[in-house]
Amino acid sequence: MIQGLVQILIFQALGELLSKFALPFIPGPVIGLVLLLVFLSLRGHVPASIDLVGSSVLQHLGLLFIPASVGVVLYLPILQANAWAIASALVISVLATIAVTASLLKVFAKKD
Amino acid sequence: MQANLPPISEIWVYLSGSPLLALVLTLSAYLLGLTLYERSDRNPLANPVLIAVILVSLSINLLDMSYVKYFEGAQFVHFLLGTATVSLAIPIYKGFASLKGRMGILMLALLAGGVTSIFTAVGMARLLGVDESLVHGLVAKSVTAPIAMGIAERVQASPTLTAIFAVSTGILGAVLGRYVLDALRITAWWQRGFALGVAAHGIGTSRAFSVNPEAGAYASLGMGLHGILGAVLIPYAVAW
Repeated sequence: MIQGLVQILIFQALGELLSKFALPFIPGPVIGLVLLLVFLSLRGHVPASIDLVGSSVLQHLGLLFIPASVGVVLYLPILQANAWAIASALVISVLATIAVTASLLKVFAKKD
Repeated sequence: MQANLPPISEIWVYLSGSPLLALVLTLSAYLLGLTLYERSDRNPLANPVLIAVILVSLSINLLDMSYVKYFEGAQFVHFLLGTATVSLAIPIYKGFASLKGRMGILMLALLAGGVTSIFTAVGMARLLGVDESLVHGLVAKSVTAPIAMGIAERVQASPTLTAIFAVSTGILGAVLGRYVLDALRITAWWQRGFALGVAAHGIGTSRAFSVNPEAGAYASLGMGLHGILGAVLIPYAVAW
């Protein structure tokens, strides 16, 4: 387990370094993600130790964005003032996104 | 027997000075959220993150603890976001295995979905007169929250608002998605799953997994690819 953690942290650190010095417009962890993806493709399988750590972290992904989300307390007044408009924008946007993505898949899959 | 216990106020000062309180608060609120979620038969409306955020917000308000103070302690949990983002490579890699030469149309659908997500959200918000300081938080809301927050920092949007909008989007997509998909007569599981992953990231993905494993695999692929593509392209879209 520690082995998997070390490997994932190394990819994260490499990503942060590249983001800092070469690709400042991409977040470091995303570069780390791509590097790990390349590594897995080269290996041809997911090593058990990486799978164990990665899967446990991802299983509780939601926990990790609680601290940032609690910051909502700082925005409550402005959110309340715009509540209906924001809610409508979010609903319409998510419905449109699902509709566009799924319809395109359906249309193009038929042409295969 | 009256032991030499220090007065409550001293214990309190000690506790609120260490990261322990914020950590215990965060973890136990999440645990309670998870329990309620399981009890509700995994109803997306009983989202564990939503429950935990409400509980923690109420608690720190009650304890008269400032958000800055809370975050000082909870940042140890926050740090793992980067580690989780890197770990997203695992479901993406596994998703590749089930592609069957569909990569081209998936990327096309993803691109169209991502653009739709940004333009409908920002367009509707501006149309309805939403305060401009909130509109920026909508740009990355269909991207999985850990990556969305990284994007937010790069486009001068609030990571907090982005996280809140991302979680709300995930819940809305998980709850409402099936009605759109049924109305459009989308029956293939891989198409339903992928659309849900692109639009409603992690929360949509766990919903897809609970309905059908193929839908789940494609949903996590959609979520992961949207994360990578969003991180690369959204800063350009905003600059333009």
